[in-house]
Amino acid sequence: MTDTAKAWRVPPFVAAVLAALIQTAVLGYMVESRATILRNGAEVRLQTVPVDPRDLMRGDYVTLSYPISRIDGAIVEGEVPKVSGRQSLLVRLAPGPDGLWNATEASFEALPAMSGTVVVRSLPFEFYPDSDGAVGDFISVTYGIERYYVPEGEGRVLETARNAQALEVVARVSPQGQMQIRQILLNGAPAYDEPLY
Amino acid sequence: MYRGRLERDLNGWAAKGLLDPALVPALLADYDQRESAFSLGRVLMAMAALLIGGAVVLLIAANWEVIPRIARLVGIVAFIWSTYLKAAYWKSHNSPRLSEASLVAGLLFFGGGIALVGQMYHLSGDSTQAAIIWFAGAALTAVLFRSPAAAAVCGFLAFVVAGTEWSDSFVLRDNLLLWLMPAMAVVVIGLARFTGAGRTRHLAYLLIVCWVLILYGQHEAPVTALAIAAAGAVCYLLAALPASPLNGLARNAGAAPSFYSFLLLMMGLLLLHFEAEGLVEQVVLGIATLVAAIAGLFLSGRDNGAVRYLAYAAFAAETLYLSSATLGTILGTSGFFLISGLVVAMVAWLVVRLERSFSARNGVTEAGR
Repeated sequence: MTDTAKAWRVPPFVAAVLAALIQTAVLGYMVESRATILRNGAEVRLQTVPVDPRDLMRGDYVTLSYPISRIDGAIVEGEVPKVSGRQSLLVRLAPGPDGLWNATEASFEALPAMSGTVVVRSLPFEFYPDSDGAVGDFISVTYGIERYYVPEGEGRVLETARNAQALEVVARVSPQGQMQIRQILLNGAPAYDEPLY
Repeated sequence: MYRGRLERDLNGWAAKGLLDPALVPALLADYDQRESAFSLGRVLMAMAALLIGGAVVLLIAANWEVIPRIARLVGIVAFIWSTYLKAAYWKSHNSPRLSEASLVAGLLFFGGGIALVGQMYHLSGDSTQAAIIWFAGAALTAVLFRSPAAAAVCGFLAFVVAGTEWSDSFVLRDNLLLWLMPAMAVVVIGLARFTGAGRTRHLAYLLIVCWVLILYGQHEAPVTALAIAAAGAVCYLLAALPASPLNGLARNAGAAPSFYSFLLLMMGLLLLHFEAEGLVEQVVLGIATLVAAIAGLFLSGRDNGAVRYLAYAAFAAETLYLSSATLGTILGTSGFFLISGLVVAMVAWLVVRLERSFSARNGVTEAGR
């Protein structure tokens, strides 16, 4: 080892502050990236659908599923990957007459912005094209909003409501198409509000 | 305990007249003054610290849900700051061990912080990315504090990254992640050199060995096994041949570079054995393995015990394998046992001869100094 390398030494307190500062910044960035979506993202209201098996309360979170979790193969536009592999699907959401948002178009390639609609990006999933190179009848996707943590003991109410289709989720979408849950509606009335921090 | 043994030995030497009996208490007193000597007070203090720490952890865990989320976040960040500042305090007050322990605690808090923030704020988990960030944080701490302990944590975190479910990663592709492993190994070796954490090097070498096995799992073919053996052979020759330009660097790093590259060579040959078909291939491969084992003994058998034993083991296993492949079918079970016995006896004789010549040569070199 050279002498310059041996002599290179950060004063301990400078090292401590730098290490703590950078690691704090990492945690802060994680928190802030979500807060930004909640603050500035486009808002969509989603119906939830019953989850099978019906009893899927795990510890302290509720498993959520949406109509947009199951994309009809008929609305998939553009090029479809020829070989199986990890893919992510872009889905255009548009509001229906009841104020609930539904998938109107989906693509493995970028979707152009269109006023009154929001494009969301699914989490990566393994895609297997059919033998004739087409998409199947439907594609199951997730968006990272499939779990909602609730205080212990309160999950059961939400489970029941979800299975009675009385549970709605208000989510906000980042320009990149990432979703975050902002509010849970029970029979149309706000039940849980997500604070920014 | 060492102190009891020391006291017995000193008294024994004093009784034999080897040592002035008056010296015994003075020597024991010197031992008691050492930093590492057993001290009841210090042990009790450590136990008290553990109890108080445990109580705090239990208290927080029991009321975790009640504490507002933002307070939990602030608490985690405060823990991180306090451990690094403590580490700095102890480093500047000449208590390197306490400082290193604080750094390890700080890195654990950082990893826990990443996991807790992800859970508290419903961030859909990309565990690979989280592990990579943790690894990077550990590497940064190791560089800033020039800390061997942080370098060791970094070495373990490289395995954590390798062990996460890559197929769940959102932003990184499988292929990229596969090449991340040797990159992390290089980082860990660099940190080990920089911080003087000699043993951490082994983690990096093991990471590369694991990576090679994963590569073979992904592309299971004779070509891959051959490539592994060839890469091992090249690395080994680079590390062990006195004429090699890298010989000085490898020697500087101790016995490990030669050993792990030799291990790679042997692993490649072993994998080739699984791929080999037909007697001719088996025999050619067997001879290659025997030659490699003998070459290992010849090149680094004297100085490198680890290579020597691996070479012995490979030699013995190969001769048994060869005799079973060639003679086993002809001789039947009892005859095969006889041949095995003879082979083992021959190998044993060879090992005894080699060991004797190594120690004799060592004696000569030492006498010549």
